[in-house]
Amino acid sequence: MIPGGAFVPPNQQRNLRACMVCSIVRTYTQFMNGGCPNCEEILELTGNSENVNDCTSQVFEGLITVADTSKSWVARYQRLEGYVPGVYATQVEGILPEEIISAIEAAGINYVPRDGSEDQMIPKD
Amino acid sequence: MSSYDDRDSGSDDEPFNPQAEIDEDDVPTNSAPVRRPAVTDDDDDDDDDAAQGGNNDDDDEEGGEGNDDDDEEDEEEDEDEDDIVTRPAKRRKKAKRNMFIDVEAEVDEEEEEEDEGDDDIQDEVHPDDLLETTNADLDDRHHRELDMRREVNAQKDVEELAKEFDEKYRRREMQSARRGATGAVPLALPTVNDPSIWSVKCRPTKEREIIMSIQRRIDEKMRAKQPVKVYSAFERGPNGPQSGYLYVEADAKQDMLEIIEGISNVFMSGEMLSIDVKERPDLLRKKRRPPLEVGKFVRMIRPPTYKGDLAKVVEVSGNGLDCIVQVVPRLDYGLNEDTNAAVDNKRKRGFFGPKVERPPQKLFSEADAKKRHMKHLTMAGSGAQRQYTYKGEDYVGGFLVKEVKVNWVSAERVNPKMEELQYFSTQNADGTETLDLIAVQAAQKAAETGAAFASGDNVEIYTGEQRGIRGTTVTVTGEIVTLRVSEGELKGRKIDAPVKTLRKLFREGDHVKVIGGSKYVDEVGLVTKIRDDKITLLCDSTQQEITVFSKDLKRAADSATVGADSNFDLYDLVQIDASTIGCVVRVDREVLKVVDQQGDVRTLLHTQVSQVAGRNRNAVATDRDGSEIRHDDNVKEYGGENRQGKVLYIHRGILFVQNRELVENQGIFVVRSTSVLTMAAKSGRAQTQDLSGLNPALNAGANGNSGPMPPPRSFGRDKLIGKTVIIRKGAYKGLLGIVKDTMNDEARIELHTKNKQVSVKKELLSIKDPITGNSMPIGGGKFPDRSRGGYSGSTPSYNSGSGRTPAWGNGGGRTPGWGGGGAAGGRTPGWGGGGGGRTPGWGGDGGRTAYGGGDGGRTAYGGATAYGGATSYGGATSYGGGTAYGGNDGNRTAYGGFNSGGRTPGWGGSGSGNTASKSNLSAPTPGAYNAPTPGAYAAPTPGGYGAYSAPTPGGPMDAPTPGNYSAPTPGDRYGVTPAAAPTPGAWDISTPAPSGEDPVYH
Repeated sequence: MIPGGAFVPPNQQRNLRACMVCSIVRTYTQFMNGGCPNCEEILELTGNSENVNDCTSQVFEGLITVADTSKSWVARYQRLEGYVPGVYATQVEGILPEEIISAIEAAGINYVPRDGSEDQMIPKD
Repeated sequence: MSSYDDRDSGSDDEPFNPQAEIDEDDVPTNSAPVRRPAVTDDDDDDDDDAAQGGNNDDDDEEGGEGNDDDDEEDEEEDEDEDDIVTRPAKRRKKAKRNMFIDVEAEVDEEEEEEDEGDDDIQDEVHPDDLLETTNADLDDRHHRELDMRREVNAQKDVEELAKEFDEKYRRREMQSARRGATGAVPLALPTVNDPSIWSVKCRPTKEREIIMSIQRRIDEKMRAKQPVKVYSAFERGPNGPQSGYLYVEADAKQDMLEIIEGISNVFMSGEMLSIDVKERPDLLRKKRRPPLEVGKFVRMIRPPTYKGDLAKVVEVSGNGLDCIVQVVPRLDYGLNEDTNAAVDNKRKRGFFGPKVERPPQKLFSEADAKKRHMKHLTMAGSGAQRQYTYKGEDYVGGFLVKEVKVNWVSAERVNPKMEELQYFSTQNADGTETLDLIAVQAAQKAAETGAAFASGDNVEIYTGEQRGIRGTTVTVTGEIVTLRVSEGELKGRKIDAPVKTLRKLFREGDHVKVIGGSKYVDEVGLVTKIRDDKITLLCDSTQQEITVFSKDLKRAADSATVGADSNFDLYDLVQIDASTIGCVVRVDREVLKVVDQQGDVRTLLHTQVSQVAGRNRNAVATDRDGSEIRHDDNVKEYGGENRQGKVLYIHRGILFVQNRELVENQGIFVVRSTSVLTMAAKSGRAQTQDLSGLNPALNAGANGNSGPMPPPRSFGRDKLIGKTVIIRKGAYKGLLGIVKDTMNDEARIELHTKNKQVSVKKELLSIKDPITGNSMPIGGGKFPDRSRGGYSGSTPSYNSGSGRTPAWGNGGGRTPGWGGGGAAGGRTPGWGGGGGGRTPGWGGDGGRTAYGGGDGGRTAYGGATAYGGATSYGGATSYGGGTAYGGNDGNRTAYGGFNSGGRTPGWGGSGSGNTASKSNLSAPTPGAYNAPTPGAYAAPTPGGYGAYSAPTPGGPMDAPTPGNYSAPTPGDRYGVTPAAAPTPGAWDISTPAPSGEDPVYH
């Protein structure tokens, strides 16, 4: 769990951003100060406003609060398993810079954009 | 570094995992594989040496099947067996054995051997492996990397290593979790074992806050180390169909209720449904936002000022989050600013209160901005590139160029209208405007449905695998059109095709009509070119080539009716603004062409024309000659081009003239009325009107017989009565008589000849002067008549007046010498004696005073003693009479007596009765007239003078007179007159006697 909780007071909700990799939702300041709790090793957001701007998006839809990422089907469906509990977005718009994608892939992560394109790639039975 | 291998094996073994395939795609492209094998080796080592927990975890989550495989692999690797071994593992082994040997070839060989040799095993070999074997060069690098790392590791001490491993594992753990992000979606399908999901209603737009509130509760519970019984809660945003719903995942409904209890904006009383397992994935279905592309049209969502406006994407930022759009500004340039408003920086919340009307769309105007907001305006560049920065926003080419987030615009259901698109049309070098048809198409395609297709349309699939198939539309369902194939091997079969791939089938030369989709609606033309689903046609009406989509066409049988829906017709007179009027010379779908009163041609939108002014039927103008011009008259320009035509409208001295032979402006031209000549008026109207008819004074005169003066009317008694008349015709022709009475056109006449009264038409009468016998104009009432009468009368009256004077005045004046002739007998008649005699004018007074009558004689003349001696008088008397008198009595006025005598009706008496008068007329008159006159004048005078003292004549007269005349009067009279002497004697004789000179009488 994120220290201090994942709650964002309403007056800060305007500044919410979502990580384009794991879709966690935090404020810009939180990203700057604490980075992304799930992807910090790769994205190295802490203190790096450029990366924060590049890798997190203000354009996202649908909030999910997940208390248990392992048992929740929602978390599983959203590919949030193993992530810290907290607030995530269902859909995050934005395109990661090429080098970041490379870095993610290099980290062994098969990056799947969270902008909804995935659903369209999967043919529904 | 990561568990590539792990993942590979894990996911690869999922036979139906499409994610795996994606991986494969990604792997080669992303250069990740470069390092992978090396990394993998490490990991594998880790796997071997240390815990497999993370791995197992993953497997658990992803599904049980992979687990076994993993284990197997590991074992196999350990045992260094070569059957099912995955390549990386092998490589690792080999690397261990001798890292300086390039083993690539070997590996490949092995793989090949395996592949070739053992079919059974081959099944288990993942295609992934086969693929990777080909990447020999890559592997080489991996190896070297690995080697380097190993060297480094070797130099680390054990503790360090342990720490490192520890860290790695933790990371790995995380990584395995992250693996969720990489796929395995099919596994994520919910099962009955998963927690339930409830939907709860909430207030739309408050979803995020609610989720955050739930998050706070979860945080609190975690902090308090209390169990959180809810697994998750989510919402899907305020814009989608799931707005107003909240979903909570929990094992029990009670848990769910507990966590949302008391959170504001959650409608606890609403229905809470447990979502069926099968439907759960739909709750999280995502829809990819259509990517924005430069040049595409979008609709603005925010800011509110521009909500719903059409915008064109100018630029999309690299991260896909921002874009720059071009939109028609809505600015009021501070016109509606409340200058008195207190300056406060607080952002006003627009949620409540009346919505302020937003300014209309209008391209940026520098002039307007300068009016009030010069301070907010800065400029850069010049010419067409001129840019303005106004209030912090950039304006280029009249457009607002604004950077917005991609979620501020919508690329769906854009459906741009032509009105909106006209702003975005680009001006060509030749001045024509064109639209980027492709962009429009893209914008319109998005909303494309099968609506444009009707059953029975001939269609062709023009793209895709079934390209070229032609058929007839059978049914249209949404975007799917079912068509019956009409040609080819599939003939007769029904197939479905998406609208996108269809075009309506036209052939070149077809006559088609545009039924929608562009500004060319209702144009009809001939198909000249077909490319894909775009068809070029030659318009019938404009002879221009236009290109439209085939779906917007239909075969046309009719001809063009462009502008049929317009309120305006050709040749309508329309009001353009308060002072401008014009005649429509062309009606297009969107615009009117109007010739205004200056003769300029204007192109106006229909909305810019306020109304049809119509024709004023009473309008009149005058041409240069002053002739009147009315509608439909033919006029000809005087000078200039000598154009001529029919007057269509008259507007304040301006004529809109139509000449069908002119091509320009549909034959309409505008001239001043003063510069034309009327050629022929319609309906043969008089060209010059008698303006005198407008003069009321003359008008009045026109009523009656115009004449200088109306004839005096005769009122009262017919003037004819009493007149002496002669009958000019008939049985009584030539007879003299007196009119006794008249009635209508007849007169009763008393004949002189015999005492008989006859009726004769007035017109047959001629009035005769009773004295002279002269003819007088008829109409006794007429002035001249009277005057004559007066004269004639007056003369005697004069005489009589004077006659009054003793001498004879009596006779003349008083006596009706005439008067008698007057019907009234003695006195009355018009003027007769009465008037003349009596009136002072002359007669009486004059006579009396002057002569004093008897008295006068005495007084005046008495005084005239000069005569006094009677003599004087007598002699003096030019009036012989007087003289006579004088002589008469010598001194004493014989007058008196005379007077009385004269006065006496001696006469009257005698003259009473008609006969008397008659006799008067004939007889006495002469007496009065002639006799005395000469007497008075001629005779006496001389006598008077000549023989002044010898009034003798009188003397002799005296005596005889009375005697002579039986009647005293005459006696008197004649006595008086010198002539009287003879008179009495004998009529005839006397006459000559006295005068001799008076032939008139006879």
